[in-house]
Amino acid sequence: MSENNKPSRTSPTDFLNIIIGKRVFVRLNSGIDYKGVLSCLDGYMNIALEMTEEYVDGELRNRYGDAFIRGNNVLYISII
Amino acid sequence: MADTTGTSVIMEPLDLVRLRLDEEVYLKLRGDRELCGRLHAYDQHLNMILGNVQETITIVDVSEQGQGQSIHTVNRNVPMLFVRGDGVILVSSPPRTA
Repeated sequence: MSENNKPSRTSPTDFLNIIIGKRVFVRLNSGIDYKGVLSCLDGYMNIALEMTEEYVDGELRNRYGDAFIRGNNVLYISII
Repeated sequence: MADTTGTSVIMEPLDLVRLRLDEEVYLKLRGDRELCGRLHAYDQHLNMILGNVQETITIVDVSEQGQGQSIHTVNRNVPMLFVRGDGVILVSSPPRTA
């Protein structure tokens, strides 16, 4: 939300706290991708997404209103 | 923790699962398996007890004739199921079309 675009010594945890409430892109180890609004996450990197779209090989496969993703499957999270 | 959003019943991801207790859940599991059933119990590992479960297994057959692959699904019903948490990928509500 803030205009803080300058590089700073933020930790991965800071990043995760910053992106809560934003639209994110989550890639799993299996290659499946999820896009949605990040409602929260925890120390295991378990993720709660709202308005989730599931993409397999880049194609939209499913939509979920709310989705829980088990953290061990997560490869990365990025902002979109 | 101040609740400023008005929708913050969910404070941690596992709350999503808690809200589904005694309701139908959709699980996506490793090995192209999906489960739909009533969630009776769960723990922090996502071990779960499900009742009246429909399991859908997606099988991809690759033909030798170069015709590519054919996908079919196998369904089976289980009255009561213990699901080990490490197989869980995703938990949600059942899709409308299922």
